[in-house]
Amino acid sequence: MKHLSEEELVARAYGEGDKVTAEQHLNDCPECAKAYAALLGDLAELRFSDPLPRDSSYGERVWQSLSGSLPEYDAAERSWLGGGLWRGLRYATACALLLACAFVGGRLWERGRTQSSAAVNQQQKQRPVEPAQQRERVVVVLLSDHLDRSERLLVELKHVDAESTELVSPLRNEARSLLAANRICPQNARQDDDPALTTALDRLDHLLDELANQPGGLNAAALSRLQHEMNADGLLFEVRVLRTRLPDRKAVLDGRTNGGAI
Amino acid sequence: MIRMDKSEHEAIRAVLAGDKDAYSTLVMRHSSNLFRVAFRITGNEADADDVVQDALLRGYRKLKSFESRSEFGTWIYRIAVRCALSKIGDRKVNENRRIAERTDLESDQLQIADEAADPERLLLSGEIGAMQEIAMEGLSAIERTAFVLRHMEGRSTEEIAKAMGIQPNAAKQSVYRAVQKLRRCLSTLKVKV
Repeated sequence: MKHLSEEELVARAYGEGDKVTAEQHLNDCPECAKAYAALLGDLAELRFSDPLPRDSSYGERVWQSLSGSLPEYDAAERSWLGGGLWRGLRYATACALLLACAFVGGRLWERGRTQSSAAVNQQQKQRPVEPAQQRERVVVVLLSDHLDRSERLLVELKHVDAESTELVSPLRNEARSLLAANRICPQNARQDDDPALTTALDRLDHLLDELANQPGGLNAAALSRLQHEMNADGLLFEVRVLRTRLPDRKAVLDGRTNGGAI
Repeated sequence: MIRMDKSEHEAIRAVLAGDKDAYSTLVMRHSSNLFRVAFRITGNEADADDVVQDALLRGYRKLKSFESRSEFGTWIYRIAVRCALSKIGDRKVNENRRIAERTDLESDQLQIADEAADPERLLLSGEIGAMQEIAMEGLSAIERTAFVLRHMEGRSTEEIAKAMGIQPNAAKQSVYRAVQKLRRCLSTLKVKV
C-alpha cells in the first residue's frame, strides 16, 4: 500500500487535494492515520497571538498620516469608467484612421502604378524604332505597293485587246518598271522564309520579263499566249491572296504592327 | 462574485475625478483588516503600520488601474500582502547582511543560536508562543507569508497565489515547506525544553 506523503497530509489538513482518496486511505491505513493525527495536533498548537484589535479611530489616524502625501487626480482624466470609455473611443478612432490611411494609401499607390504603366506604354510608343523593325516596315510597304501595281497590271493584261496596239505600249512600260522592283522582292521573301510568296514572285517575274522584253515586241499572238499562261497559272488570284495577307499599309506606317506579318 | 459596495464605487469615482478626500472612506473602512494581515505577516506592529500606509498609498496611486468588476477590499488586501512580503524580505536581507558583516564565524554561530533558539530562555519565559515566533523566524519571506495566509487567514491556494503574485503550485509548496519547517523546529525546541 502506498502511504500518503507529508505534502498530501498537509493538503488534506487544510481541506485541499483529493479529499475522497485521502479520506479512504486514512481509514484503511493506521500508519498514515497516526501521522495525520500528529500533524493535526501540531497545526492546532500553532496559534499565534493576534495584535490588539484597532479601535475605530485607527482608520482616521492612518488617513491623517496619509492624506498629506496623496496627490490629487486630474479631473480631466475622469474615472475608470469614463476613462475606459474614452480610451476605447480613442483606440477605435485611431484604428479607423489607420484603416482610412491604409485605404487611401492603397488607392494612391494603385493609381500611381496605373499611371506609371500608362507612361511606360507611352514611352514604348514614342521609343525610336529599331533598325531591323524599320527595315521590315519598308519591305512590307514596298511589297504592298508592288503587289498593288502588279495586280493592276495583271488585270489590264487579262482584259487587254490584243489587237489594240496603243494599249499594249503602256502595259509594256509598266512591266519594265515592275520588273526591277520584282527582282528585289524575292530576296526579302527568301530571307523571311516565305515559299508561297517566293514562288508567286518568281512566276510574276517570268511574266513581267516576257511582257517587258518580248523579242519583236508584243504582238497579238504573244499577248494571247501570256494571257493564257496567266489564267492557267492563276497568277492574278495568287497576287490577290498575297495582298490580303499583308498588314494594312496605314497600320504599318503608324507603327501598330511589328512588320513581320509575311 | 462579490459586488463592491456602492459607496466605495462612488468614492473611487470621486477620487479619480479629483476629490482626494473621498479616499478617506476607503482608508477608514479597510485599515483594520490590512493591519491584521500585515501584523500576522511581519510579526510586529511598527512594520504592520508601515505596511498599511504603504499599501493604501500604492492603492491610491494605482487606482486608475483598478477594475470596477473586482472588489476594492480584495484588491487592496493583495497590495498589502505584497507590501508585507516585501517588508519582511527586506528585513531578512538586512539581518543576513548584519550577520555577514561579522568576521568571527564562531561568534556568529553563537549569536545566531542565541537569536534563534535559546531553550533556557524559552524555559524561563514558558511561553509556547515565543517558541512559535522563533520557529517562524526560520521561514523564508515567501514561506512565512504563504503560511500566514493559509493557516491564519484561511485563504485557499489560489487566493494565496494571486495575493503573492506567484503560481498556485508554488504557493502550495511554500505552505508545505513552512509547515514542515515549523514542525521540525518546534519538535526540536520541545525536546530541548
